[in-house]
Amino acid sequence: MTPIVEMRGIQKHFGAVHALRNVNFRLMPGEILGLVGDNSAGKSTLMKTMTGAYQRDGGEVLVDGRPTHFRSPQESRDAGIEMIYQDFALCGNMDVGQNIFLGRWPRRYGLFVDRARMYDEAQAVLKRLKVDVNSVYQKVESLSGGRQQSVAIARAISFNPRVVIFDEPTANLSVMATERLLETMAELKKQGVAQIIISHRLTDIFEVGDRVMVLKRGENVGDRYVRNTNEHEVLELIVSGTPETALTADEALARAA
Amino acid sequence: MSSIATSPPAARAPSRLPLQLVGGWEAGLLLFMVLLYGAGVYINPAFFGSTDAFSAVLRDTARFGVMAVAMTFVIVNKELDLSVGSVLGLVATVFSILYAPSHVDAGVGWAVFGAVVTGVLAGLVNGLLVTRLKVPAFIATLTMLFIGRGLVLGLTGGKTIAYERKAADDPWFFSLGETNALGFNSQILIFLAVAALGAVVLAKTRTGYQTYAVGGNEQAATYAGIPARWVRLRAYLFTALAATLAGLMNVAQDKGITSQYGQGAELIVIAAVIVGGASIAGGRGRVLGACMGAALVVLIDKVLREGVPITRTIDVGGIKMEVQAMAQLPGGAVQAFLGIILLAAVLIEPWAIKGGGAARVWARLRGHEAPPAPDRGEAAIVGAQTKGARSDARAMGARGLRAFLARRDAAAIILVVALWLVGMALRPDFWGSLDNSFNLLLAFTEIALVSVGLTFVIANGDIDLSVGSVLAFAGATAAFLMKELGVDPWLAAAIAFAAGTACGLVNGVLTIRYGLPAFVATLGMFYIARGLGAWLVAGRQLSGFPESFNLLGRNLFELLAYFGLEPSGGLGLAVAKAVSTQTLLLGVVALVAAVALGRTVIGQMVYAVGGNERAARYAGIRTDAVRLWSLVFSAMCASAAGIIYVAYLRSFNPSAGTLRELDGIASVIIGGGSIFGGFGTIVGSLAGAAAITLIRSLLSLQIIMPDGSSFVLPQHWMNVFIGLILIGAVVGDIWIRQENILGRLFSSRSASGRHA
Repeated sequence: MTPIVEMRGIQKHFGAVHALRNVNFRLMPGEILGLVGDNSAGKSTLMKTMTGAYQRDGGEVLVDGRPTHFRSPQESRDAGIEMIYQDFALCGNMDVGQNIFLGRWPRRYGLFVDRARMYDEAQAVLKRLKVDVNSVYQKVESLSGGRQQSVAIARAISFNPRVVIFDEPTANLSVMATERLLETMAELKKQGVAQIIISHRLTDIFEVGDRVMVLKRGENVGDRYVRNTNEHEVLELIVSGTPETALTADEALARAA
Repeated sequence: MSSIATSPPAARAPSRLPLQLVGGWEAGLLLFMVLLYGAGVYINPAFFGSTDAFSAVLRDTARFGVMAVAMTFVIVNKELDLSVGSVLGLVATVFSILYAPSHVDAGVGWAVFGAVVTGVLAGLVNGLLVTRLKVPAFIATLTMLFIGRGLVLGLTGGKTIAYERKAADDPWFFSLGETNALGFNSQILIFLAVAALGAVVLAKTRTGYQTYAVGGNEQAATYAGIPARWVRLRAYLFTALAATLAGLMNVAQDKGITSQYGQGAELIVIAAVIVGGASIAGGRGRVLGACMGAALVVLIDKVLREGVPITRTIDVGGIKMEVQAMAQLPGGAVQAFLGIILLAAVLIEPWAIKGGGAARVWARLRGHEAPPAPDRGEAAIVGAQTKGARSDARAMGARGLRAFLARRDAAAIILVVALWLVGMALRPDFWGSLDNSFNLLLAFTEIALVSVGLTFVIANGDIDLSVGSVLAFAGATAAFLMKELGVDPWLAAAIAFAAGTACGLVNGVLTIRYGLPAFVATLGMFYIARGLGAWLVAGRQLSGFPESFNLLGRNLFELLAYFGLEPSGGLGLAVAKAVSTQTLLLGVVALVAAVALGRTVIGQMVYAVGGNERAARYAGIRTDAVRLWSLVFSAMCASAAGIIYVAYLRSFNPSAGTLRELDGIASVIIGGGSIFGGFGTIVGSLAGAAAITLIRSLLSLQIIMPDGSSFVLPQHWMNVFIGLILIGAVVGDIWIRQENILGRLFSSRSASGRHA
């Protein structure tokens, strides 16, 4: 099976800082991948390199096996890759419907906003996601953090993406909201959407994830199937992993066997 | 631990300090000053060549320098105090009124006491508005600028106060403004003392470190236990006290005041601090630099104001005579140049200091490879801006009156009705008449046009402080072209419109391309455009334009009659006589703007940019273009208002459009806009503009007392009221609409009621 996204030998420098050293990355269709590592391990940089928010200094990015070179997040969005930012990147002064269609509001007669269609479709997306947001007419800033995130996810889903990247999705959520989010992720997986979770909270990744990938100081130091590993091993990789411990999930599986 | 042990001991200082720390910037300033003084000597040796001139430059620097020292604290705090000039004037006025034999005739001690109390109060008001009531610094202090100026005018009645004779009895105080036994002005001594004190406090003490910390990252400073609000409030007290000291130095020197005292001083002081190497983005600035900046800017001011001696030949009754004269730049030009210097300093500073621009140029000159430009770095995560939608949340599901009250523009609509009723109550004989209504509508046009443009800018989260000046500039251009160059009226109008629009383009480019905060860019334009306008008409009133141009300001009947299309009678005649061209124009502009903002993708983009610019950018909206065109549109509206002003009054006065930025911003805020962006509608802004028009009209209403006497509020006090209204609107928006103080008051009361 071809990976939906594959990155090979990615290099990225920020001035004198070598942020990513020869990083390899693979994501299979419908898979939920946890991306973990300490602060400054390069998790966000790797994701931004993938979406085109940063330009890589070396290596290749393949989507569906075809080499690509995204110059901006817009281009990767066109290829079906969506990112949900930690602060959700929503406009609090606008309502749920307007936010879901931010920047691509349905139009008629050229410049006019087709409000009826916008709210209908927003409603449909929310229903598909099975999240509960009182009304599509509600201003986003009057929603709780968890619901704001639901709007951000709904916005991402409305593009019919094949890959969704969550940046620290549970960092600002209550326990209840986290539960709901994990349910939503499972629902998305059922619909065949591959997901990447950048997180510090291993518990969440172990609850919904299929595979976990560990970065340390810009290098691959581990890749394991969730069902074959435990939080202790992953923590050990985060703290004292080396390129030798990297392996691929399948190699690790073979070695364990 | 091992990594620390292997690294070389870091006990000695780094071998190469950054250029900024060894005083490279200050050295450059000094060199520039010497060159400039040389230019002054060259232009006018009679003046600049004398030692008197040198000591005069230093003497005038002293007053601005004292304020610049304090302003450094405010700017390092990442804030701005635009009110120093007005506080200076106000303090000087209070002192003079208390001291002058023609007024209160108190002792000099009491007069100084009154002056200091005034200064402290002004600083407290500024500081409390900014720190406690969360009003943006530029709005709070800009309002204080106008209120202070209004108080000066109101208290003096625009007249001069002098007390030369009485001053001779108090030599100990008034000698402070005079030449001392050592042969130089005592003010210089005061300045040196203040500068030394300020330098030590900012660079060496806890107070100074706190200031840098708050300016660098207020949140981090707060978390570190620094009382950030007090640090910011304290800085406003410093500037107010410095302005007080400068005001006292001024009266000690002149032994009297005019109502012009301190006008425009804020421009010189802020320019001085920025020229001195402080960053408008906060966290950086030094007192030494600010002092040298003050000397430099005062010197520039003097060189610009100083005339070049020329010999002019005039013709008197057929006899040619040679007359010695001075060729001088008109007053407006100086202001325009100072505005440009302010913007240039703001632009150069990040390039030269933060970007290491000077070091790179130097390296290239020596043939070395230039050090790389440091990364600008992406801004840290901007928290989701969540301000102001509480009222909309309340509106959900509400019906009838509640739904109306929850609208953001409810206040404006209620205010309009209430104010109109007040007018009716005060002057039932006159207020409701057709004449008055017609005049109200005409006065409404200018404010409304300006607010329509500002609505876009404010909804974007930007601000345009230059609308009043752009209005004047466009009007001046039209007047100048027709009067001095005899240009065809329609062409003149078109060029004036283009000139005003160009100002907006400059605002936009400075904001978008060079990343200046909009209030800084438009503050520069506030001075530049007004200066250019005054320069064009040489500070005079121009009138006597072709009647075809004036039609723009007449009613529809005259316009149609001009083209020979006048209606002969009936309804058509009544309508044509009642509706004026400018009302029609406003209607069209407002309608187009309202549809664009309320119904189209353009409006959605504007609100998205104002709500969360980063989110809008991620969503593929060209946020730069949206902000640029909003600023341009605002300037277009202001230009149109300026052209109409000339046509309506059949003359142009350089003071056109003064205070219009306050009127406009107040209209938008009253009408539902938020100073933090993301809100505002055209309907709301029009209602706000109507409220402002009514307030202005009510303030100039002749009130007939029961005993038959009549009373009119002196026009000098107008500034004060308009300023109070703006500040009231902003504070009201922040505390009632956004924080929902009233709602919380009610809910806490009902909650406690339930508990009881």
